[in-house]
Amino acid sequence: MILSAEGLVKTFPGVRALDGATLRLAAGSVHALLGENGAGKSTLIKILTGVYRPDGGRVLMGGAEVHLAGPLDAQKAGIGVVHQERNLIPEFSVAENIVLHHLPRRFGLVDRPRMKAEARRCLDLLDLDLDPDMPVAGLSVAQAQLVEIAKALSVDSKVLLLDEPTASLTGDEADRLYGIVGKLRDNGHAVVLVSHKLEEVFAVADTVTVLRDGHTVADAEPLAGYTQDQVVDLMVGRAYASVRLPERRVDPETPAALRLREVSTARGHRDVSLSVRPGEILGLYGLVGAGRSELAKALLGLDRITSGTVEVHGRPVRIRDVGEALRRHRIGYVTENRKEEGLFLDQPITRNIGVTVWRSLARAGLVTERAERRVVEEYADRLGIKASSPRQLAGQLSGGNQQKVSLAKWLAARCEILIVDEPTVGIDVRTKAAFHELIAELAGEGLALLLISSDLPEIVTLADRIAVMNDLAVRGELLNDHDYGRMSQAIIRLIHGDAR
Amino acid sequence: MSSPATTAPETARPPETRRPPRIPLWANPRLGLVVLLVALVVLFTALRPAFLDTTLTLVPLQSDISVYAVVGLAQLAVLSLGHMNMAVGSMASMSAFAMGLAYDRLGVPLPVGLVIGLAAGALLGALAGLIISRTGVNSFVVTLAMDFALVGLITILYTRFTDGVAFSGQPAGMTTLRNDTFADYCMGEVCGPRIPLIAPIALVAALAVGLLFRYGRLGREILMTGANEKAAELSGIPTKRRVLQAHALSGLLAGLAGFLLAANNGAFSASIGDQFLLPSFLGPVLGGTLLAGGAVSVLGTVLGATLTQVIYKGLNLLQFQLDELKLYIGLVLLVALSLDRIRHVIGERRGARA
Amino acid sequence: MSAGTMVETPAGGRIRRATRRPEFTLALLAVAGFAALAVATDGNLLSGGTLDAFFRYLAVPIVIGLSQMVVLAIGQMNLSVGALTGLCSMVAAWLMLQAGLPAPVAVLGALAVGLAAGLVNGLLVVVTRINGFIVTLATMTIIEGLRYGVNGPDTFQGYSQRLRDFGRASVLGLPVVFLAALAVAALVAVFFARTVAGRHLLATGGSPFAARLSGVSNDRSIVLAHGLSGLLAGAAAVITVAASGSVNSSIGDDLLLPSFAAPIIGGVALAGGVVSVAGTCLAAFLVRLVDVMQAQFGINPRWIDLIIGAVVLGAVLLGTVRQKLLRRSS
Repeated sequence: MILSAEGLVKTFPGVRALDGATLRLAAGSVHALLGENGAGKSTLIKILTGVYRPDGGRVLMGGAEVHLAGPLDAQKAGIGVVHQERNLIPEFSVAENIVLHHLPRRFGLVDRPRMKAEARRCLDLLDLDLDPDMPVAGLSVAQAQLVEIAKALSVDSKVLLLDEPTASLTGDEADRLYGIVGKLRDNGHAVVLVSHKLEEVFAVADTVTVLRDGHTVADAEPLAGYTQDQVVDLMVGRAYASVRLPERRVDPETPAALRLREVSTARGHRDVSLSVRPGEILGLYGLVGAGRSELAKALLGLDRITSGTVEVHGRPVRIRDVGEALRRHRIGYVTENRKEEGLFLDQPITRNIGVTVWRSLARAGLVTERAERRVVEEYADRLGIKASSPRQLAGQLSGGNQQKVSLAKWLAARCEILIVDEPTVGIDVRTKAAFHELIAELAGEGLALLLISSDLPEIVTLADRIAVMNDLAVRGELLNDHDYGRMSQAIIRLIHGDAR
Repeated sequence: MSSPATTAPETARPPETRRPPRIPLWANPRLGLVVLLVALVVLFTALRPAFLDTTLTLVPLQSDISVYAVVGLAQLAVLSLGHMNMAVGSMASMSAFAMGLAYDRLGVPLPVGLVIGLAAGALLGALAGLIISRTGVNSFVVTLAMDFALVGLITILYTRFTDGVAFSGQPAGMTTLRNDTFADYCMGEVCGPRIPLIAPIALVAALAVGLLFRYGRLGREILMTGANEKAAELSGIPTKRRVLQAHALSGLLAGLAGFLLAANNGAFSASIGDQFLLPSFLGPVLGGTLLAGGAVSVLGTVLGATLTQVIYKGLNLLQFQLDELKLYIGLVLLVALSLDRIRHVIGERRGARA
Repeated sequence: MSAGTMVETPAGGRIRRATRRPEFTLALLAVAGFAALAVATDGNLLSGGTLDAFFRYLAVPIVIGLSQMVVLAIGQMNLSVGALTGLCSMVAAWLMLQAGLPAPVAVLGALAVGLAAGLVNGLLVVVTRINGFIVTLATMTIIEGLRYGVNGPDTFQGYSQRLRDFGRASVLGLPVVFLAALAVAALVAVFFARTVAGRHLLATGGSPFAARLSGVSNDRSIVLAHGLSGLLAGAAAVITVAASGSVNSSIGDDLLLPSFAAPIIGGVALAGGVVSVAGTCLAAFLVRLVDVMQAQFGINPRWIDLIIGAVVLGAVLLGTVRQKLLRRSS
């Protein structure tokens, strides 16, 4: 074992994040670290990289115990990490970012030529042909990701931790990344992969550790011995029954609530035509970068529509901003980026939900706390938002509850058309199932739902029709028969088949 | 949860919600200010009994508090957004100029001139807000540059329209506003308290601003814009308009402060507002309003302004020089903020242990 | 660098990149403005006395602008720079006149007071976690009190002849104090471009979280930036004492706003992570140009405030337009 962590315990106020967790890594292998949100993966990674100090247990590198009091200690011990968030200094060059931990000096000054040579060496390890002098601000997301890996390797790490490395990459970019991961394995590195995308994990990893509630429930087992369902069972801790959603029937004669006719936008969307009826869920599938969220934002007036028409209940409309979309047309948009765009993290739940209803509650411009509270509590109850009080700050809620708050404000505003963008990203398996049921229920009540998702099972489970988007245009539309195998093949074919 | 059927038992899961650390009552910064205030009043009275002399100390003190509470509110209006207004002083000054000009040249009655002045202040604030919301440039830079420009403009205007320092003409009622207290007005035997006439004006302003940010849709939407501009925009709040309105409010309140100071001094002069910048931050910051935006405390601002003015007055009675006073004001600010911080840390630790 | 790599970089690209920098625009403006003013004054600007005064009174704005820039680099502000320059000046004069110490000791004393006050600012920010703007607002008022306390309302004059000679000396037609300011600027430039501490400081300003994960101590960067800012304020004080011949407690009152004007016009972002020593110096030069113009043509000095305010706004607006254009072209 190149690295083994034994009996790790870490307690936060009110939560025991790790309770005797174990992680054992062999050199020359790719190791998957899996678990639901809150199972303790991030805590474990933060301990291994010296960000947190454990309350109990120990970490051994090559059999000798190491004390990781800070990020520098972890680097010295040979543990490199690529965090989920981008951690590069945008103003600095590629080279300087890579070697920032240990800038080479000469006569007390930074030795630029040596810095560049060192960076070049790390980039070569990854077969990356990047100009080391280029500022990081000019890189694509995928390039920046690779630079981070080069940075992690620059300290001669024997262990490399990758936390959700493909979260913001396209399929091709992810393939390239995993190619590099394979090469690192062949060079004798131990790579730890944390990912929500089980398909990817099964394609790349050799062994697996599964965490549940701070315990290790699968300890460095060969992944070949498991099926995906078995791994999910381990993560969730019970036999995972796929959700059975109630049958819904949409009369095909019902006129569309929202219809796009050959809409083109300043962002580059070309002739997008879509429609969704009351009570219907239209799935909008596509890979990251296909332009789905951008289309939604253009609909709301955040980007210019250059040609085509948008119709709400049969009438052509011009929407200038979100407020207008909400007030005049009852359209709501649940963003995919809830922490930055959906929530006011430092504000109480009441304000987070109330923000869309103040206008209708206000008498002479004033809103009473009571009126607000009544509306907020109604929807908090309905969605089952769990909080110690309505005054609790949104930032203190779990991911699932945050997403519910983000959704509740649109329901409270009595939206009739709801655009839901990646509603279950970063949400654990159990909450996800509850969310799917909720979305189906809303459609059952007559809401017109546009569901944007890159999660194939999710879209096949929920949608009535599926529009497939790629490269800023709709490639085709399918009637969903809920047969996962058939539907997923048809979708993939639409994405790739139409390359001409 | 709405779907118990698909939800697994909640045992052995980390609790979904973490209780927010309850900050104990004694850690409330407003309460600390009140305690500090009482202690200082007792101290000053013990050292100089004249501190409680009504005409000599208390009435002018109340007038000063009225002016600087409004100055603090002017800054608070944009702190709500996480912005700053470095031009509070010059906006007050421009506003006072507009009032002085209206009274001197047009001979308008007192309320009309006041409205003209407030409109001028609001307009200047709106201009700053417009530039900030249109260009996305940092409010500090925009208002700093504006301050530079206005300070220059004010002197030029005063030289052109007056003998160089102040307007000579004044509306009827200005002297009354300056000298009288409610004690000068009697209903038969019952006379009012010895409170200067301008105090209720400041009080109304504070109540209005408090009402706006607590219950007003406009105020709340401004706060939400300050808390997270992107999320506010995506929640249907016209954020650019709210930025403009908050800055306009700041300009308007600066104008009001200018008027109150002019009433206090008895003249619309070029020097109005040149001492506003520091107190404008002192009041809100002492009162617990952060620079981050999204939360304000009007009561804290009034208390903070009161504390500052009590210190000024007290040390003045003890015959300290004006420049020496600054030393102590700065120290009080630092100590108050540090204590506040320590209380916060302890409060959090207590919450964590529970 | 080997010859090979030189060939690899197309010279055209390098020139294009250089001309796109804001410093280039500022340099063009500075040269054009200077030439225009020289012509407009019938060459009076180039006469010995005028030219000498032009550069002599450029020294303090440069150093004070750098003092603010160092703190802007970590995304904070230092409101106490002006008051601190005043305090250090008073301390230096006091050391010579009241304590009877030789000038070099007084100079060191001023620098030490500046450094100490800066370090206190930095430590307060780190320890209390209070916003730097507020901390320096508080220390500014304290320092203003102390500045007055050194000598009350009275003026110090008649101190060390040698120091005043230094303040009036010229080399090759350029005032020594101006050359000293340039030397300070060069040191600051090297600090940010080539020292590990300087790079770490910029990393903190650019992205504190990323910097921490790379083993950079943000706390150390904050203390260092404020300390350096204080030291530079001390240097500005030394120049003031040497060049002006008498000091009183009002020194520094008119420095705070210019301290922001120079780096902001010079293209330094308030968000931190970016500095421009050349831009700051050039911007100080431009502001000085406006000053001289006022003196030459007998314009009401108040117009200058108006003009500088407009210039700062214009520079900032131009910066955003430039960024938008660059983004569109790339």
